[in-house]
Amino acid sequence: MEEKKKNDIADLLIENLQNSDAEQEASAELVSTASATEDKPREELSENKIFQKYKIKDIVFLAIITSCTLVTGAIMPLLVNIPLFGIIQLGLALQFSVFPVIGMMKVRKVGSLLFMSIFISCFLIFMFPPMALLMLCALIVEILVVLIFKGYKNDWACVLAGTLYMPMTVPFLYMYYNVFYSVSGDEKKAVSMFLGGTHSGVIIGMTIAIVALCFVGSVVGMLIGRELRKAGVLKK
Amino acid sequence: MSFFKIKRGIYPLVAIAASLFLLVFGLVTAKSERCSYFLLCAYAWLFIFGLYKGCLRILPAFIIIGGAFAGIFYAVTDSPLSALSMANRFGSLFLAAAIGMSVESVALTRNLSQLRAPRAITLGMLISTSFVPVLRGEIKRIREAVKTRGAGSVYNPKVWYRAFLIPLVMRLVKISDTLSLSVETRGFSLGKEKYSVYKNEIFSWTDLLFIAGLTVGGVLAVVL
Repeated sequence: MEEKKKNDIADLLIENLQNSDAEQEASAELVSTASATEDKPREELSENKIFQKYKIKDIVFLAIITSCTLVTGAIMPLLVNIPLFGIIQLGLALQFSVFPVIGMMKVRKVGSLLFMSIFISCFLIFMFPPMALLMLCALIVEILVVLIFKGYKNDWACVLAGTLYMPMTVPFLYMYYNVFYSVSGDEKKAVSMFLGGTHSGVIIGMTIAIVALCFVGSVVGMLIGRELRKAGVLKK
Repeated sequence: MSFFKIKRGIYPLVAIAASLFLLVFGLVTAKSERCSYFLLCAYAWLFIFGLYKGCLRILPAFIIIGGAFAGIFYAVTDSPLSALSMANRFGSLFLAAAIGMSVESVALTRNLSQLRAPRAITLGMLISTSFVPVLRGEIKRIREAVKTRGAGSVYNPKVWYRAFLIPLVMRLVKISDTLSLSVETRGFSLGKEKYSVYKNEIFSWTDLLFIAGLTVGGVLAVVL
């Protein structure tokens, strides 16, 4: 009799233990589903925001990409002194579109191009001061991207930004030469030097070449970004 | 005598201002002989203030590149003035570079942090300047890997894209992940947390004298 009682108690205890395990599992499942349903909209909300907060890893990646752009753009001081319209932009078009597009494909936040431009300008200013105008170009491009694509979620938004970024320095440089040299009254000479004394055909041709090269560079950057995303290195 | 033994570098922001001044001055007044004299005096001034290493380093580059461009322009335009203006432009560029070389990126970052510049900017600048040697090493390694695999010449666009550019960017992404983790582990944040700068950059009278000398020289070169 006593043995039977003991067995019953043991059975009850085992059952109780199993029940409590099942309860724990059920509660854990409930908690996880609840947290998932709570977090998902929050994540989606933050991803859908146009202006997102920057993290350290974003800044670090943008700085590294800037470093790449600067190293490959080191030919600029030599190009500065060649009196041919748009030669600087043509020489830098490929580097200044491939790398910034990769940067924007990784850090899909508004302001990423501006951040890169700030870092780039800090160094290019020592090679050719007007290159600080890159910041202004980046600002305008960012505004355009926000107005058209509402951020860099779309890959083509990155391509658009990369394509417009460098060619936009051409009109700004024209304005710079007009304004800056007006101090010494040499603005006409400066502008003619900037234009390289060439006729309108060369100017139009060079402008088209710059835009085309920037577009090619941006598409190459986008393709690299897509390959990296496929490989799991870039996460969307 | 201690004046000639300035071991502490120029105050980073003063160095940057001086560098920009030389560059702009060189661009604007390149066509005059006075600019050449001013640049020569500035070279000596830099030497006096202990920037002789940078000054000596830029000299061969200036002679080769500046000389080549001046020669080309003389050959094309047949005018000594355009050759002089080219030499002046390169002179001012290399002098600005000599001053820039004297500023350590750490010192500049410290200086900007001291002035409470945004941390994202200081961190970005520090990384972009100090990353160049790492990048060079990575490029060398990837080129060696391309050679080992027998992928062909890097100058072939297909090989360049597939075997060089993609591995390079992949390495960059991985390095940036590791670097950002390491930066975060060291307590670096982009928030408004307070932070200390243990070694302050101090603005001294030599810095004032340095920039004042250059400015006075520039003014005299224009006025006289």
